[in-house]
Amino acid sequence: MNKKDIDLSIDFCGIKFKNPFLLSSSPVSNSAEMVARSFEAGWSGVVFKTLNSDTTPIIHPSPRMNEYAYGSKRLVGLQNVEMISDRTLKDNLTDFLYLKKKYPDNVLISSIMGFSNDEWAYLAKVSEDNGADMLELNFSCPHMAVEGAGHHVGQAFDLIEKFTSTVKQCVSIPVIAKMTPNITDMTEPAIYAKQGGADAISAINTVSGISQIDLDGFIPKPNIFGLGSVSGTSGPAIKPIGLRFISDMGKCEELSLPLSGIGGIETWIDALEYILLGSSTIQVTTGIIHYGYGIVEDMIEGLTDFMVEKNISRVQDLVGKALPNLKTTDKFDLKRQGRAQYDLTKCVGCGQCYTVCRDAGGFALDWDEQKRRPVLIEDKCLSCMICSFVCPVPDIISYKEMPETWKRKDACVMDRSLETQIKYQPFKSS
Amino acid sequence: MDKGYDFNQAWTEANRCLLCHDAPCSKGCPAGTNPGRFIKKFKMQNIKGAIRTIKENNILGGACGILCPTARLCEKECASSNLDRPIEIGRIQEFLVRHGREIGFKVFEKPDSTLEKVAVIGSGPAGLSCGAELGKKGYNVTIFEKMDEPGGVLRYGVPSYRFSKEYLKTELEDIIELGVKFECGHAIKEVGEAENLLNKGFKAVFIATGLWDATRIFEEKPEGVYDSVAFLSSPRTDRKDILKNQVKDKKVAVIGGGSVAMDCAGLARSFGASDVYLVYRRSFCQMPADEDEKMESLENEIHFLILNQPKAYVTNDKGAVSGIELVRTQLSPAKSSGRRSPIEIKDSQWVLDVDLVVEAIGNKAFENSDNLYPGVDIDDKKLIKADLDNCRTSKQAIFAGGDIVRGPSLVVNAVQDGKTAASAIDSYLVQRRAKLTNKEG
Repeated sequence: MNKKDIDLSIDFCGIKFKNPFLLSSSPVSNSAEMVARSFEAGWSGVVFKTLNSDTTPIIHPSPRMNEYAYGSKRLVGLQNVEMISDRTLKDNLTDFLYLKKKYPDNVLISSIMGFSNDEWAYLAKVSEDNGADMLELNFSCPHMAVEGAGHHVGQAFDLIEKFTSTVKQCVSIPVIAKMTPNITDMTEPAIYAKQGGADAISAINTVSGISQIDLDGFIPKPNIFGLGSVSGTSGPAIKPIGLRFISDMGKCEELSLPLSGIGGIETWIDALEYILLGSSTIQVTTGIIHYGYGIVEDMIEGLTDFMVEKNISRVQDLVGKALPNLKTTDKFDLKRQGRAQYDLTKCVGCGQCYTVCRDAGGFALDWDEQKRRPVLIEDKCLSCMICSFVCPVPDIISYKEMPETWKRKDACVMDRSLETQIKYQPFKSS
Repeated sequence: MDKGYDFNQAWTEANRCLLCHDAPCSKGCPAGTNPGRFIKKFKMQNIKGAIRTIKENNILGGACGILCPTARLCEKECASSNLDRPIEIGRIQEFLVRHGREIGFKVFEKPDSTLEKVAVIGSGPAGLSCGAELGKKGYNVTIFEKMDEPGGVLRYGVPSYRFSKEYLKTELEDIIELGVKFECGHAIKEVGEAENLLNKGFKAVFIATGLWDATRIFEEKPEGVYDSVAFLSSPRTDRKDILKNQVKDKKVAVIGGGSVAMDCAGLARSFGASDVYLVYRRSFCQMPADEDEKMESLENEIHFLILNQPKAYVTNDKGAVSGIELVRTQLSPAKSSGRRSPIEIKDSQWVLDVDLVVEAIGNKAFENSDNLYPGVDIDDKKLIKADLDNCRTSKQAIFAGGDIVRGPSLVVNAVQDGKTAASAIDSYLVQRRAKLTNKEG
């Protein structure tokens, strides 16, 4: 298969996207001036920053974001207290017209959030009337303080159904419902949205969190003049949570709606993982906040080359491809066991494997002080594989399945003579 | 002086560290520095703990971070070398010490100096390290220094572009805060004076006078010929401007191939010399200076005149040096063992025109240095015989360390000698105290 045979386009609720990569509703999609540049860079569509109907004036807190760093790695996560659009509805709708005129082949999705039934209907209608190709209902902003808005709705399932239904009745364009992850089971509200008529689900919005505390003043960050707040956290740190919720919905037969995956996506691999768990489109904000719109070039190229390599021509054929292999833990075959194996050719001798195996693993490593190399005691290895996670060199430590006759040694008991003093009776279920 | 890492650079570098379980870096320091430990502390955001780890071990941790040839010490066995490049341990260490000062963090609480009086002769790295260690233990320490200001080689033997006197001042402040007293401009020079300190209330003496006489090449020394000691110390003395004028826009030859020669050549460049020649009779690889010092010198546009043996100075009609007569050499055939030696090439004499020459082939002890301590055994080079495990000399209560014992060596070795001596002096005085108590009892 060649690059020219690859088709990255995807059908999402009957709308054609030239690739699955969209801007999510956020600071990166705040105005046409910005969005136009993202389209030039290669993004196929945008979920525009959530519209405001001008009835509630929006003033963003200042400063409005804070990073979550790990070691010298910056922006592993991002916390923000930004509200919906602070622009007038007129300005935003004018920008809609501009985008549709200038970029008719890119998809414009209008994100809306109402504070009442009427307002939801109104915002839906004006969006459609001014060129929006789709709607995304924001049931999930975690830092809207108003009752009946943002994730407060996302946690009150009957309201999701009611507002979705209201919107569906007054527009003919497809409607996506955006879910909050700040709940236990997302399939439930998603099904309410479906009952209200939603055509697709997008998830996740930001995860409620606290990124950092200013230790001098004991003030959580971002420090808004002496006060902090629990608010939306995004970025690579939350990707595992996003993948989990997408997979839950991807596996839910009762739901069976197209999904748009969001949460910590920066590379084509991140995007592909969301696709493999059931997303047909994916949305990005924090990746762009970190690196700019240019990352889409690498998503397009990376995914294309992967598809060439795997001989898969249509993105559509990748959607949900990992779901059949995702099961609950009780389905595992526990008879099959293995251990770590070491190829020390490239070992640099740091001994981090040795440290963690003794302090957190199976005590399965010795240390050759002369050679400065680990020595595996094979039958003590738990196959937790943590040694391979801390090893600075790829490919030294891999997993090896062992024959069924192989037995792992029990963990050492320090002093058998103390057995006589145990106060215990084996547990018997009554 | 290089301004060193800022917080973010140091942090990024520390985060490259693999935190080896058996930290080979920590086995590579002659003064027992434990980079594996202080880098881990830094990485765990225990920054004060990291600074404490450095300073408690080595009072001159900042200076060593700058001056140590780390590539052949702590960084030599760094496991990261096998991934890309070693962690820049020296630079992280220097940053942490400097950062400690910037945030006003004091590692040491001022001790009560209630114990015996101890004299230290010489305020170079060995003397400072010994004084600080004894100060921490509560001894009443006086450091005698013949020059006007303390620091020894750190002040008078290293050019300021490598180590500034402002930085030295901050390192000295930590030692002063430990209650150590300095008597500068106080030369110990009379016959037996070093030993006589024991009769003046001092219960122990540490001799750390260093090597301050230059090894000469020729008997004659025409005007315009300097030795490395005088040349390198000039910026810290009133001779600075005189020498600077002599060097500016002139051609300078430095004879030698070690670290000191590199420093002299660099200083001549910084004084504005138009051309600086490093004259060395062996090959480039045989130069004892460290690899990075040689590379820095090349980048500093210093001309390497290798395989050239100086034969004599050429003088002008006023008797001042105007050139060096050189003869070209080639190396003796390679043998399985032994260093290849330079053999002069017949009829290859030539004259290098220069305006000033610096001889930098090594330092030695002062001619009459042994007069100060007639009761102490010395060797034929007038180096003091002392056991490096405890710095004891042949005379009770007299200890010695640093270059006056080792011969030319590194700052970090002198620091270790100071620590060793302090510990030995403490044991000696504890025993002495015990004996006195027994007698009284």
